[in-house]
Amino acid sequence: MSVPLSSATLHRLAAPFLVLAVVLPLVYFTYPANRTMWHSISIVTAWAGCGLLVASILLMIREPQISHLFGGLENMYLWHHRSGMLAYVLLLCHPLALAASSLPESAQLAWQALSPLGASWQIRPGWIALILLMFGLTSTFIVSLPYRRWRWMHMFLGLGVALGLAHVYAVAGNVYPLMLLIILTVAALGWRLFASDLGAVASSYRVTQVTHPGSDIIEARLVPNATALTIAPGQFVLSSFGEGPHYHGCGEYHPFTVSGIEKDGSISISIKALGPCSQRLQELEPGVMVRLQGPFGTFLQNAASLPQLWVAGGIGITPFIAALRAQPRTLPTTLLYLFGNEKSAAFLDELRMLAKSDPNFELLTHASSKGLPNFPELLGKVSQLAAREVFICGPQPMAEALVPCLLQQKIPEHLMHIEMYDFR
Amino acid sequence: MRKLFIISTTIFWLAVAGFWLSGKFHTAEKINETATVAQPALREYSLKQVASHNLESNCWMAIEGQVYDLTAYLPSHPSDPAIVLPWCGREASNAWQTKTVGRPHSSLAQHLLERYLIGKLGETP
Repeated sequence: MSVPLSSATLHRLAAPFLVLAVVLPLVYFTYPANRTMWHSISIVTAWAGCGLLVASILLMIREPQISHLFGGLENMYLWHHRSGMLAYVLLLCHPLALAASSLPESAQLAWQALSPLGASWQIRPGWIALILLMFGLTSTFIVSLPYRRWRWMHMFLGLGVALGLAHVYAVAGNVYPLMLLIILTVAALGWRLFASDLGAVASSYRVTQVTHPGSDIIEARLVPNATALTIAPGQFVLSSFGEGPHYHGCGEYHPFTVSGIEKDGSISISIKALGPCSQRLQELEPGVMVRLQGPFGTFLQNAASLPQLWVAGGIGITPFIAALRAQPRTLPTTLLYLFGNEKSAAFLDELRMLAKSDPNFELLTHASSKGLPNFPELLGKVSQLAAREVFICGPQPMAEALVPCLLQQKIPEHLMHIEMYDFR
Repeated sequence: MRKLFIISTTIFWLAVAGFWLSGKFHTAEKINETATVAQPALREYSLKQVASHNLESNCWMAIEGQVYDLTAYLPSHPSDPAIVLPWCGREASNAWQTKTVGRPHSSLAQHLLERYLIGKLGETP
């Protein structure tokens, strides 16, 4: 029996489609005729690798409408990573295949074709590009690397792509697919740098109120200075905080999920001290100007008409409190709220009040200062669990431990929606 | 993806090391032999003779006073065949020196070219 593809699924498939749409025509139009096998492999891997790198760069554009088209920023970043990684593997194969094509002639010629030491000026940028990709990707896979250092090292990848394209230009000359790749790369990197990283298209807001709903957590009320962004509960914004009388912003855009949306266009965002920038934000004060980009994210969107189970870990409560504040629940909803201790649990009193006033909303809490809770036992407290759609927001280890338990309870994967804090 | 990165990077550097060792221990005997053997047998060709080898399946070029039979090499040439093939059967020194875009060929290409040397360009046109 065929299942019709939902709109959300089609949007998610748009990202791999973009990757194929860049790579396949590129390989088709540059496919070498009458070459030896290894030489053909060398050329195909080079062009396919370049296409994948460019697709990867296209998929890191942070623009709300584009991210919606591709099924959300998280989905774009997933395919950004996949495309970039596959490009790297193919580009590693390229010089090896080129050397292998010279092996029948002589091993010395093969080494001359590969050697970075005696490489000509046309070949050298290719080698430097490969080393930069290697260096940049190493940073991607070091999970413990602080965000700022990771971001700085990640920029080597962009430089690697530029040098890689320069190498192709030096070797192949002014061929039209290459010009197209260069134009796409410059446009995407330019958009990312000026519009996103420097905030040229960001909306201006100002902080009017700062509260402390939990230890090491602030909630900031942001009022638009001009047009307000249209934001739904579950979405997040990229925020860059400026200067205040006593506060000095770190000048970087960081993602924060909205915890409240008012009819007058003002929003609230909740920030837990997790890194240097969010730690400094604990000192935020009214009057600070904020630049916002977004909204991004599809969490809590396109839900089925089923009873819901929400699982929040720590600051993962923010999308749920935003939804609860927006309107009473129309579907039976149970929130399982996990936290270290009651002092650190943001919005706990407000949630208890909402649970009393909203007959469709049930609150289950669990405090655990050490390790993960016993999920099978906790899930046992949720009535009609198998009939629910599940939304999870919290740290990655929590989500990874919870999903197998939910699968055991016969909840299908397509009814599980997960938002994790691994946004890089 | 982390595993893929580690495995592919390791294999890459092992392969590079393999090519390096292989190139180091298998010196250019083959190339030297070809050059030594071919030198006494060099004969002269006129441009007219070169011009009769102007096909992809039979491609000679005169470059800097030498004549090369590049038929076997054409499939391995990195650029588009449409750029190389028009030079078959012709004096191609300028194309060799500039790659038609103002850039010389690499030393590796120079090395490769020697393998296809078949004679000298004679005085007669």
